[in-house]
Amino acid sequence: MSQSTSALIEARGLTKKYGEHVALDHVNFTVERGRVVGLIGPNGAGKTTAMRAILGLTTYEGDLRVVGREPLRERAKLMIDVAFIADVAVLPQWLRVDQAVDFLAGVHPRFRRERALGLLAKTRIAHKQRIRDLSKGMKTQVHLALTMAIDARLLVLDEPTVGLDLIARRGFYDALVNDYLDETRTILITTHQVEEVEKLLTDILFIDRGRIVLDSSVERLAGTFAAIAVSAEQLDAARSEKPFFEQRTPGKTVLYFEHPDLSRLASLGQIHTPSVADLFVAKLTGGAR
Amino acid sequence: MSTFFWLIRREFWENRAFWLVPSSISVLLILAALFGRVDLRIVTSAAQTTAFGGMLLGVFGVAFLLVMSLYSTWYLVDCLYAERRDGSILFWKSLPVTDTAAVLAKLATALIVIPLVYFIAADITTLLIAFILSLRAGALVEGSFWHADLWLQLQVTWLYLIITIAIWYLPVAAWLMLISAWAKRSVTLWALLVPLAAHWAARAFFGTNVIGNQIMDRLVGFAARAFHLRADGARWPELPGNVAGLFNPGGFLTSPATWIGVAVGIALILCTIRIRSRSAEI
Repeated sequence: MSQSTSALIEARGLTKKYGEHVALDHVNFTVERGRVVGLIGPNGAGKTTAMRAILGLTTYEGDLRVVGREPLRERAKLMIDVAFIADVAVLPQWLRVDQAVDFLAGVHPRFRRERALGLLAKTRIAHKQRIRDLSKGMKTQVHLALTMAIDARLLVLDEPTVGLDLIARRGFYDALVNDYLDETRTILITTHQVEEVEKLLTDILFIDRGRIVLDSSVERLAGTFAAIAVSAEQLDAARSEKPFFEQRTPGKTVLYFEHPDLSRLASLGQIHTPSVADLFVAKLTGGAR
Repeated sequence: MSTFFWLIRREFWENRAFWLVPSSISVLLILAALFGRVDLRIVTSAAQTTAFGGMLLGVFGVAFLLVMSLYSTWYLVDCLYAERRDGSILFWKSLPVTDTAAVLAKLATALIVIPLVYFIAADITTLLIAFILSLRAGALVEGSFWHADLWLQLQVTWLYLIITIAIWYLPVAAWLMLISAWAKRSVTLWALLVPLAAHWAARAFFGTNVIGNQIMDRLVGFAARAFHLRADGARWPELPGNVAGLFNPGGFLTSPATWIGVAVGIALILCTIRIRSRSAEI
């Protein structure tokens, strides 16, 4: 592996087919060190397939390097540097919390027991409890505590909060921000709930029908995309600037532009940078035309 | 090596039946020895009491062995299917543990660890029962259980059984694991149907029973391979005479069937590892 490059994930022509169905279609992307990347797409867009490939859980075509390794061939070594939470339901039901800590301390060279115990101490979970006796939210707390106690170079979260209520979802991301996230951490998150990760992200990857439809840092979005709310009278003038998506709201229509001529738009109304969530909807419904 | 230790230890956490089942048998047998009716008037001579002692220990041993075989079979069928069914395989695969280590740990659990647990349980049980019966029956059986020689032979028999069973049944265990790692449902059905279908196909299309015979031989041919069992002089040796004289390690280890089985077993285990490394879910 090359230590010189700061890319933790490099995918070139990443492709995955299930029979006739193409789940990933020659996908290219890079995840750099210190970034928090959201892989965002609707259900069935290929997010989970991409994750499975990155984590060495499935076969794929194309070139894929994760922390300098080939995921499928070197999964066990990969997992020294990469931690992941695939779904809330994956901790074994019969496992006790203290057993989980013991096991990880036994098999994982980067696992720090003291840190795990410290994180668990912030919750109301008893060490002798079995996973099956915990609520969904508590299971997630355990899994997150175990995962954050690993000194990983890359953390992958695949739909980590699916099936959780609002309080538990907030708790999950609060814990992640307060106890884990700093500028040295690299995280790849997949989700279809854009709003809840929007504030964390430094980069976004929109994926739709097996293709990356947008790959950008969040800072760069402001220079690339603009939205403008116009009244009915100015709609035609605004439309001539070729918006890629229109959204009707009471009394106004919001138009979305990519690489717009801001000086000409400015006369039509108030320009703002669309939120990631709005952009997601705009890009995936508008981009499909 | 420490990873392997933790993988085995985790099997004990998951399957509390490992020790619950043998200890239940122990408790039942000990209760029977404590409160059952003991009538040993048929045993009169010293030679008879020793033979009786040896026989009793043998019967207990067989009881443990039977339950162990059933349990191990169930464990093998379930071990790689359960982790896919509940999705926990995604947790195990998030750790730096190779699929090879994971599969081999489960194989070793079934073929070595579970038998050792039953061995220890049977040992403790027979010791306690021998003690209880000696006290209850008094002079009648006094001394019949307490031959160092008898004990030693019991240990040697268990160890010989554990090793030879592990070798002979390796392909069966590997087959069950392969299906457990592969099947999307009905693991037991697949495990039984595929060999049956292979047998029927061989008979229907090639008019040969060779597959069926091989499978039957693998399932029931163990005792004939590992022990001197001859129909002609079916004479049970005097107990606590020479049990080890029944062992046939030379014949067992030089039989081609033994090593063909080992080769098939290794091939099936390699397939199992490959399947587990490529498919995380059902």
